Amino acid sequence: MKRLALAKLVRQVLKKDDLVVCGLGATEAAFKEAGPVGPTYFASDPMGLWPSIALGLALAQPKRRVTLLAGDGDLLMNLQVLATIASTPVKNLRIVVFHNRAYSSTGGQRLAGENRLSFATVAKGVGFDWAFESKGEDETRKRIDELLARPGPALLDVHLEDEPCPPVPPGQWSQVEERTLFMKALQNLTHEGG
Amino acid sequence: MILEHLKRAGIDLVASLPDQWLGELIRQCEEDPAITHVKLAREDDGVGICAGAFLGGRKAALICQNAGVLLSVNALGGIAYHHQIPFVIVAAHRGHFDDGQYYQQYKGRLCEPVLEAMGLPHYVIEGPEQLSLIVDGAREAFLKRMPVVLLLRKQALAKSK
Repeated sequence: MKRLALAKLVRQVLKKDDLVVCGLGATEAAFKEAGPVGPTYFASDPMGLWPSIALGLALAQPKRRVTLLAGDGDLLMNLQVLATIASTPVKNLRIVVFHNRAYSSTGGQRLAGENRLSFATVAKGVGFDWAFESKGEDETRKRIDELLARPGPALLDVHLEDEPCPPVPPGQWSQVEERTLFMKALQNLTHEGG
Repeated sequence: MILEHLKRAGIDLVASLPDQWLGELIRQCEEDPAITHVKLAREDDGVGICAGAFLGGRKAALICQNAGVLLSVNALGGIAYHHQIPFVIVAAHRGHFDDGQYYQQYKGRLCEPVLEAMGLPHYVIEGPEQLSLIVDGAREAFLKRMPVVLLLRKQALAKSK
């Protein structure tokens, strides 16, 4: 399965009052192409910090579903954050790992651990009750449904094809502007009763 | 009474990593039902948690040693500073006249010059009589849209009961 196919599968199950924190680089490119549904916070450097940002957001917005779309290199940089997430009662946080075993946006260098790396195993080892790996569209669609049907924290580690990533242009808004737009969108949702 | 000052500043989410001087404060955070206490394994995750909390409309604080502030430099620059996100860091200011270990000294030597270079507001709290700086610091953080770092001497933390 390609990245875009996974981004589209995730998109299909999201509602407009769901919050998404999206990792940078290839994951960002794929989810932007699939098209965000509700308020979406796109990552910037540094890598490794976005699981904790998603955790803070989920703790601040306990009535909303927060989904983190995590690149594998990004998550590998900071595995201990999974222990912190598992130690909180954050039922509304779910993680989907875009796992293609390479740093796609820097030229496809292979990750440490490569073919043996299992984020689901790591997640279970630090206390996640629900963590699975999946391959292919049919299995992944089924697992995504399960992921959203049960309380978090939960992690789905989706194995993807290794494919190149074109450079992601800087876009119209700076991070400060994106931050304001995100918070405003969240406020509007609250006012609409969503 | 550090926790009372944090609560007065509207903070109800605390991410912490222990230090010998912080034991009592962290115990209070853990036991207070009005506080969501998150246990860190690395301090810069606390920067992320505080930032995410602000995105979601909640005020948060990171409690750690000043070595954790040094470790968090990249996160503070890339997330808090670059995205203009306010929160408070309460750090044990290890490595000065009130510290008794060789291995703490570099932290005292490095922390303030590094914060100076980063352009982040920071204040040393000498003792319990200055703890209201926590409320003032939280307000400055909010108005400046950037983290404010409060560096607490041993004496300021010793009276946290």
